[in-house]
Amino acid sequence: MDQMPNLGREKEMLDVLGLNTMDDLFANIPLEIRRNTPLPLPEPQSEEEIWADASRLLGANITLEDRPSFLSAGLVRNFVPTAVAMLATRGEFLTSYTPYQPEVSQGMLQAMWEFQTMVSELVGLPVANVSMYDASTAAAEAITCAVRVHNRKAIQKGVVFVSEYTPPHRLAVIKNYTQGAEIEIKTLKHLENGEVDMTSIKDAEGCCAVYVEQPNCLGMLDDTLLDIKELIGEETALIVGVDAVSLGIIDPPGSWGADIVVGEGQAFGIGPTAGGPIYGLFACGDKYIRQMPGRIVGLTKDTDENKAFTLTLSTREQHIRRHRATSNICSNETLIALMGAIHMSLLGPEGLERLALRVAANTELTKKAISSIKGIELVDPGKYNFREFAVKLPHLASEALTYLDKLGVIAGLDLGIWWKSMDHCLLIGVDDRTSESDIESLYLGLSEWIEVNK
Amino acid sequence: MDRGEQMSDLFAFNGAKGAGWAQPKPSIEREILISSIPKKLRRKSLPKWPRASEPEIVRHYTWLSNRNFGIDNGFYPLGSCTMKHNPRVNEKIVQLPGMDKIHPLQPEHHVQGLLAIYFEMQEMLATCSGMDQVTLQPVAGAQGEFTAIRCIQEYHRQQGQGHRSKVIVPDSAHGTNPASASMCGYDIIEIPSGDDGRLDLEALKSAVGDDTAAMMITNPSTLGVFEHQIAEAAEIVHSAGGQMYYDGANFNAIIGKTDPGRMGFDAVHYNLHKTFSQPHGGGGPGSGPIGVKSHLSQFLPTPLAGRRNQVEADPKGVDDGYWYFWQDVGENSIGKVQQWNGNAGAVVRSWAFYRRYGKELEKMSEHAVLNSNYLRHRIMNPDPEIAKKIHVMPLNGAPADLVMHEFTLSLTPLKELHGVTGKDVAKRLLDYGVMAPTLYFPTIVPECLMIEPTETESKEVLDKFASDLHKILSEDPDLVTSAPHTTDVKRVDEVWAARNLILKHPGNESGQ
Repeated sequence: MDQMPNLGREKEMLDVLGLNTMDDLFANIPLEIRRNTPLPLPEPQSEEEIWADASRLLGANITLEDRPSFLSAGLVRNFVPTAVAMLATRGEFLTSYTPYQPEVSQGMLQAMWEFQTMVSELVGLPVANVSMYDASTAAAEAITCAVRVHNRKAIQKGVVFVSEYTPPHRLAVIKNYTQGAEIEIKTLKHLENGEVDMTSIKDAEGCCAVYVEQPNCLGMLDDTLLDIKELIGEETALIVGVDAVSLGIIDPPGSWGADIVVGEGQAFGIGPTAGGPIYGLFACGDKYIRQMPGRIVGLTKDTDENKAFTLTLSTREQHIRRHRATSNICSNETLIALMGAIHMSLLGPEGLERLALRVAANTELTKKAISSIKGIELVDPGKYNFREFAVKLPHLASEALTYLDKLGVIAGLDLGIWWKSMDHCLLIGVDDRTSESDIESLYLGLSEWIEVNK
Repeated sequence: MDRGEQMSDLFAFNGAKGAGWAQPKPSIEREILISSIPKKLRRKSLPKWPRASEPEIVRHYTWLSNRNFGIDNGFYPLGSCTMKHNPRVNEKIVQLPGMDKIHPLQPEHHVQGLLAIYFEMQEMLATCSGMDQVTLQPVAGAQGEFTAIRCIQEYHRQQGQGHRSKVIVPDSAHGTNPASASMCGYDIIEIPSGDDGRLDLEALKSAVGDDTAAMMITNPSTLGVFEHQIAEAAEIVHSAGGQMYYDGANFNAIIGKTDPGRMGFDAVHYNLHKTFSQPHGGGGPGSGPIGVKSHLSQFLPTPLAGRRNQVEADPKGVDDGYWYFWQDVGENSIGKVQQWNGNAGAVVRSWAFYRRYGKELEKMSEHAVLNSNYLRHRIMNPDPEIAKKIHVMPLNGAPADLVMHEFTLSLTPLKELHGVTGKDVAKRLLDYGVMAPTLYFPTIVPECLMIEPTETESKEVLDKFASDLHKILSEDPDLVTSAPHTTDVKRVDEVWAARNLILKHPGNESGQ
C-alpha cells in the first residue's frame, strides 16, 4: 500500500473530475457483473513482514548449495560473477520496457546487439536473436521457422525428424508448438551405442528439418553428427540443440553445417532459479532471417549520421503482422540475456574455454569414479561425455535417489521419469563447481546403497 | 560531430587479454583434457568475444545503463504495458539461495516453501479473476494466450467439436491474440468495433457460427473503455458453442470491482509483469499464468501446485499444516509449454508484490483508474491561458465520459493542420524527460497516442505531463517534427537498419 503516491488525495482529484467517490469511477461496469464483497485475501503487509515471510518460506527449501548435487538435466548450478546481477539490476535496465523508442533506449539496444554478436560467435552462425523463453521453445520455434523456409521445395511436406534423445518435456513443448502448423514430427533413430542411425537419416531425406542435440540429453557427444548435413542436403534444415558452455572446447555446429542452433542460455548469467526466468538461445543462417522468431537489433544511424541501434525486421512480429507473424512472442527474456551478455563478457574467450575445461575435468573425474563401482555400468561406454553421463544401476534409480537423499546427496535424475524403460538408469550431471569431496560423497553413497541392497 | 568516437565499444578493450574474471584451474591439466576430446569434435578457434578486465566491463555496462530509460528515470505512460513501480525488496527476495539455487526437478520435500508460494499465487489469481484453476507455467502473456487456446482446442476435440476452426478477435485486439490463435492452427475472424470504439454486438452475431472455437477479447478494451455489453457477448459466443477468452493485459483496471468469471469468460491470462509488477527488464522476463473454469482444467499444462493436510509421517513442511506437491494434470493435459514450471522468479516477485496490497488490491485498481481519468481530464481541459496558445487540441480516442486505467488520444487535427504526426509528438515528449506513450495502437484510432499512467504516479507527475503535452501542442511544428533534440541520439533511421541488416559486431580480433 506504500506504493501509491496519491493515497489520501483521492478527494482532491475526484473533485477535479466532478465525482464523489472512487466507486463512481467504475460506473461503466454494469451492476449485474459487479463484485460486491471484498476480496477474501490477507491483510496488507509492510516490506519488513514480506521479507520475513519470504525468508522463512524460501529458507525452508533445500538448495543446491546445501549439499553435493549432481542434478543437471539442462540446467546448471553455476557460479555467476557478482558484477552480473549488480549491473543488470541497475534501474535503467531493470525497469525499462522493450526498446520501441530507440532514442532513449540505446543502452539496452547496444547491449543486445553485443549479445547477438557473442551468441553468433559462440555457435558459429551469422545471426542471433535477443532470446527465446528457454531451450525448448527455442527448439520448437526453430522447427516452425525451418518448415516455413523449406516446405515449398520439400518432398516430405511438413515432416520434421526429431532425435529420439530429445527429453520428453522438450518434445511436449515441440508438439504443442507444431501441431497447429500441420507439422508431422517423426522420430530420428539412434543406434544402440548412441550414435545417430544413418538409415534413419536416409529416411529423413527430402523432409523440412532434422533436430538433434549435441551433446544429447545423456551428455554424450556423437562425432558422426558432423557428417549429417552433407547427407540431408541444402533443402533440409539441420537444427542443433547445444550445451552452450561445451562450445568453449567443442566444435560449434555452425562449422559443421547446422542451419539453426538453439540451446539453454542459463549457464551464462543466472542460477537454475527453479526453472525460470532462464533464456533460450536462437541463431541461424542468413536464409532464415526473415522467418525467424523474436526480436533482432540492428546497427543504424541517426539524423546526424551518428551510430545508433534499433530493433529491426519488426515486420515479422505480431504487433505489425498480427496473425501472419512468424511467432506470437512479445515479452522475451531480455534482462536474463543481458545477464548472460555480462557473464560472457567477463569470461572472455579464454575464460569460456577454461569454464568448459573445468566442466570437462569434473565430468571425467566423476565418470571415472562412479563407473568404477561394482554393479554400476555406463550407458554409453567409450563415448566422450560433457557435463552429464548416464549409468545403469542394479536396482531402481528412484530408490538410489531416496537413499542418497537421506545421506544428504542429490545424486542426479531418475531417467525413469523420462522413459519408463530407463527406470534403472541415473543421469549424473556435474558443473564447474563440483568438488573432489562432492564426487567422494556420491561414490560412497552409491557404493553403500549397492552394498546394503545386495 | 562524430559521436561514434565517444561510444564505449565492448569489443575494443584489450587490457586483460581475455582474462577479465579469474577462475580456479580445472582439476585436470588443460593438455590432457584437450587431448581426451576426439579430434573431430574439438573447437578450432575461440569465439571473438570481448577481452576486457572487470573494471572495464563494469564501466561499459554502467555507461550503457546511463543511455537507457526506465521507470526509475521518469514517467512511463506506455498504454497497455502497465509500467508501474517495481518494489526493490522483490529483487532481493529472488536472489535468496532458496530461490536462485533451486532445480525444478528436486524432490518435493526440498521445495515446500516454493510450492507454498506457487499454491498461494494460484489461489490468489483464481480469486481475483473468478476462475476455478490457475497454472503458473506460461512465461509470457503471449504464451498464456497460446496455452489457453490450446486448452480450448483440446476441449473442442474431446467434445467432438474439432471442426470448429475460427477464432474471433475485435479489430482493437493486441497483435498477440491473432498470432497466438493462428499458431494453434486457427483462422482469424476480425470484427470491426462500433462507432463508440466498443464491441459491436451485431457484428459479433453475424461472425459466430458452428465453426466458432473461441472469442478473444480484453476488457477494458485497448481504448481504455469498459465493454459494458460483455455478458451479452459471452452469451452470443456460448450459444454458438464457442469459448470466451479474456486477455488479461488490462487486468490492472478491474481487480476487486468485477472479474472475468462474472463477465462470462472461460479462460483468462494474467500478465504478472504488468499487473503484479514483475519488472519489464527491457523486454522480459514476463510471466503469463492462465486461469480456467473447471471444464477446461483437465487440459492445463502439467504440473500444478497442489496441497493436502499434513500428516505425521510427512517431513518438515512450512508449518502451516499443509503438505505441498506437484500435481500431475493427467492424460488430457496438453503437456508442457515451458520445459519446467514457468518463470518461478517472476512468480515469487509478484507474490511479494501482492502481499503488499493483500485484500486491498482493489485500491490499486481504483488508483490506476483515478490517475488515468485525472490525467485525461487535465489534458483535455487546459487552463484558458494555455488553451489560447495551443494550435489544435487532440481528440478523445473514445467518446466516453469515463475511461478505465488507460485512454487514447487522436492527433489527427494536428497532423491535418500542421503536419505534426503522433510519432513527432511522441519523440518530442522524450525531450521533456518522459517516455513516449504507446504509438499508433489501437489502429482503429488514427494518429493514436495510448496513455496508461498506473497507480504509482503522483498527481504532480500527471499535472506536469499534461502541461508538457500542452507546451508541445503550442510549439513551432518544425521543432516537433525534428524531435528529439536532447536524447543520446537523434531520430533513429529504422529503414536504414532494415536495408543494411548489420546484426553483429565483427568481434575482438586480437586473440585470433
